[in-house]
Amino acid sequence: MASSAAASNPTIPSLNLPPSQFARLQPHAYLLAHLSPPAASDQPSVRANGRATSQFRVTSANAGSLTHTNGSAVVRIGDTAAVCGVRAELLHTEDIASWSVSTASEAEAGNTSQKGGSKTEDEEDRDHVQDLNLLVPNISLSTGCAPGFTPGAPPSTLAQSLSHEILSLLHTTRLVKADDLRIWYQPPNLESEEFRNAGEGMDVDSEQTGGPEPEIKAFWVLYIDIMIISLAGNPFDAAWASVLAALRDTKLPKAWWDADNETVLCSDNISDAQKLSLRGLPVSSSFCTFEADAAAGWRSVVIPNADELKSQAQKQGSQQRWILADPDGYEEGLSQERVCVVVDIEDGKTVIVKMEKHGGWAVDSDDLRQLVDVSAKRWHEMKRILDQC
Amino acid sequence: MVGPTASLSILQRADGSATYKCPATGYTILSAVNGPVELPGRRDALKPEDATVEVFVKPGTTTGGVGERAIETTLKSVLGDIVLGREKGFPRRGVVLTLNIVGGENVERGDSYLTLLPALLHAGLLAMISASIPLSMTLSAVLLGVTDSGEIVQNPSPAAAKSAVSLHVLAISSKDHLLLNQSRGRFDFDTWELIRARALSICQGAANDGDVAMGEGTNTASVNGFIRETAEDQIYSAYAHKLDSI
Amino acid sequence: MADRRRVNGPPGGTRPPVFASLQESTTGAAQRAQRQRQPAELRKIFLKTGLIPTASGSSYLEFEPSASLAAARSNPKSLIPPSSALKVACTVHGPKPLPRSAAFSPNLVLTTHVKYAPFAARKRRGHIRDASERDLGVHLETALRGAIIAERWPKSGLDITLTIIEAEDDRWWGDAPDSHDASWGMMNVLAGCITAASAAIADAHIDCLDLVSGGVAALVSDDSSKSASSVPRLMLDVDPAEHRSILSACVVAYMPARDEITEIWLKGDSSKAALEKGDVRSSHEALIDGAVDAARGANTVLSEAVTESIARSIAQA
Repeated sequence: MASSAAASNPTIPSLNLPPSQFARLQPHAYLLAHLSPPAASDQPSVRANGRATSQFRVTSANAGSLTHTNGSAVVRIGDTAAVCGVRAELLHTEDIASWSVSTASEAEAGNTSQKGGSKTEDEEDRDHVQDLNLLVPNISLSTGCAPGFTPGAPPSTLAQSLSHEILSLLHTTRLVKADDLRIWYQPPNLESEEFRNAGEGMDVDSEQTGGPEPEIKAFWVLYIDIMIISLAGNPFDAAWASVLAALRDTKLPKAWWDADNETVLCSDNISDAQKLSLRGLPVSSSFCTFEADAAAGWRSVVIPNADELKSQAQKQGSQQRWILADPDGYEEGLSQERVCVVVDIEDGKTVIVKMEKHGGWAVDSDDLRQLVDVSAKRWHEMKRILDQC
Repeated sequence: MVGPTASLSILQRADGSATYKCPATGYTILSAVNGPVELPGRRDALKPEDATVEVFVKPGTTTGGVGERAIETTLKSVLGDIVLGREKGFPRRGVVLTLNIVGGENVERGDSYLTLLPALLHAGLLAMISASIPLSMTLSAVLLGVTDSGEIVQNPSPAAAKSAVSLHVLAISSKDHLLLNQSRGRFDFDTWELIRARALSICQGAANDGDVAMGEGTNTASVNGFIRETAEDQIYSAYAHKLDSI
Repeated sequence: MADRRRVNGPPGGTRPPVFASLQESTTGAAQRAQRQRQPAELRKIFLKTGLIPTASGSSYLEFEPSASLAAARSNPKSLIPPSSALKVACTVHGPKPLPRSAAFSPNLVLTTHVKYAPFAARKRRGHIRDASERDLGVHLETALRGAIIAERWPKSGLDITLTIIEAEDDRWWGDAPDSHDASWGMMNVLAGCITAASAAIADAHIDCLDLVSGGVAALVSDDSSKSASSVPRLMLDVDPAEHRSILSACVVAYMPARDEITEIWLKGDSSKAALEKGDVRSSHEALIDGAVDAARGANTVLSEAVTESIARSIAQA
């Protein structure tokens, strides 16, 4: 594909240079020649990897193949591959330093949530999932996934920001419901309530003597570890898709408080286990901007106003920049500006959950509107892929 | 509403420095810039024809974590955009910006830095102006929250930001480019366009008719006007000796 | 002190889930898996090269799940897996120039990193390499160094990274740790790592004397009675979860064309093996021979994978 496009391209000097070498020596010119073929050559504008500008790479997902996880998934987007494993461990409330202090208010909150007040449930989710660190995502790039990441070294800046972005997106989308992670206990209604209270210590207030309230004894903590096995651009989309697929696959064992042993026990019976009920299906799509004349833009001291920039582009006719969906490693190296859109579709309505752009000044409202539409299309594609896995 | 306050060149040893205080969100940032400087031991990583911008964010009461790394990456790409790194003396050198969060609430684990981002951007920009780093343009940023009722709130307090349906930080250059957008929460694109329009009017002022000379007080309502005034004050004090001799 | 470079969990720490009494359980999890293979029969190996295009060479290796695990997967009843099967991804980067700070070397400098994924084993692994992972790295380096013709790349380095996505068990999960206990699973992991790394090195077109492959043999005793009649038997490619106790195990890295061993690792007490009549070998010799046989078996898979890799690179050129 690449060879035929480059060979017939008159902008390339007639050197005995194979396209792959030319791509390395003059990456910017190489990609530009693909995207803006001369009018005479009658070739469509495609990227060097043969994709159209808004085309994503072939994506596949496979869930539940790892033995020692509660949920796992392998997602491949083109040559980028991410393996995500979810492990659930228990956080006993007695291990939470601030728990006994806040128990009284928590108990009240627990009541309201059981009555089904949706607003309080949301707020309480935030309190529990976020404040108690119940979700622990970590991404690892030191797997030899690409040259430049030293194996065995501490996480690079990229790995750290990716981990943070995943956590932040898990929190803003409130994907995991706190109620799935709680382990409740209904104390038996004993007449000697006062004795029990005295025995249990500080964590049951004397206000509760009206009757035994159900109390939270423990929480599930989900360790979400993502290994990027192969990195060829766009790690965030692959990592997020693998997290999503793994969480959809996650089954938590039925757990209960065993008052005799003062510990939480689980049932290993798979029919007792519960799948997580996730809120929505936020799908992430990343883009980058490739500029026809990157160097000139940086050198000029006088930068045209935003309006001028727009009219300039219209006047010149030829396209000066391209927004490339799902950039591969080669394209990422050639662009500064990044856009990330996370959308969810509920009842046919597109809801944007996260929209980020930085690194340049070219993308504005009109482009973003198009990108949201592209992301919505991608959502349907990803939903199909995730439903199948 | 009480506007933000800022003062420039307050540190003696840094090439440039600034404090920026945003009363609405309660954050105070102390920033320092050194540049152009040699970055020792990183010769291979330096770009041959451009300056390398490095940003460090130091939270007030703890050491930095993954959240700080993420926000540093964002700040680096936004501020690195407007630095003219190809000017004489800058290629193969570094511009090192340190942002200390001196006042305001701590950002919790896994929280986005959205509430802090405008203050960090402004503090970083002012420090760079103070250090006379060549810039292609200035920027101004604003935090907007959308409440339950669909109302757009400017600079919501940390508590209000928590209850907001969606939060948006937009940075707009002095030439109306959208330099940065970070939106979290649930919203649709029409809402975002309203946000975009609102941000433009806040940053550039309602009466934005080109590059008119901004007299004292005419444009104080806009964030960009505020940045400009602060920079002008700095120039007045820096060249006071010349002005006096006139 | 919390790790500032990672997302941390609750400060108080968490506990792995404890399953309720399995005696009453009807899920069958309380039954030890039984070996379904003949003593000399190896598990099938899935080995593929070139799956990671960003690396100079790469491979992915997977052991065939044991019969009990396959049954548990196709018809899940219990949340406790009966055993697990090795899954390893290996990448090779290089040969590349040594960093400026490194001392002169007339040979190719080999660096091996073996890292378990946090979810690889029954017990959650840490993010930082622990002693056993370093140990595996050293063993692997020894095994490979004997096969690579290092003097062809002076002043160069070769990074070999193995990520263990799923490891092997050290013993059946229901057994209490006892005196015969050692990290038997680690030896299977090493054998897999050697074979996978060898494929990845060939995929990276690094000159080697021969394809080196790993094999494991062990002396196992399945009788619980501990009577004199329960003599340990020699078995190839053991899955520790399928046996009551493993007395001794041996892993070798073996080059069949030259009939050379580049690495040998023998653990445990190998004095009590019951060999066939007329066999004059000492029992540890028998153990090593068994491991070599297992390595020969792995080598057939390895040479197929390497042939495939070469066919692909010829097609590309």
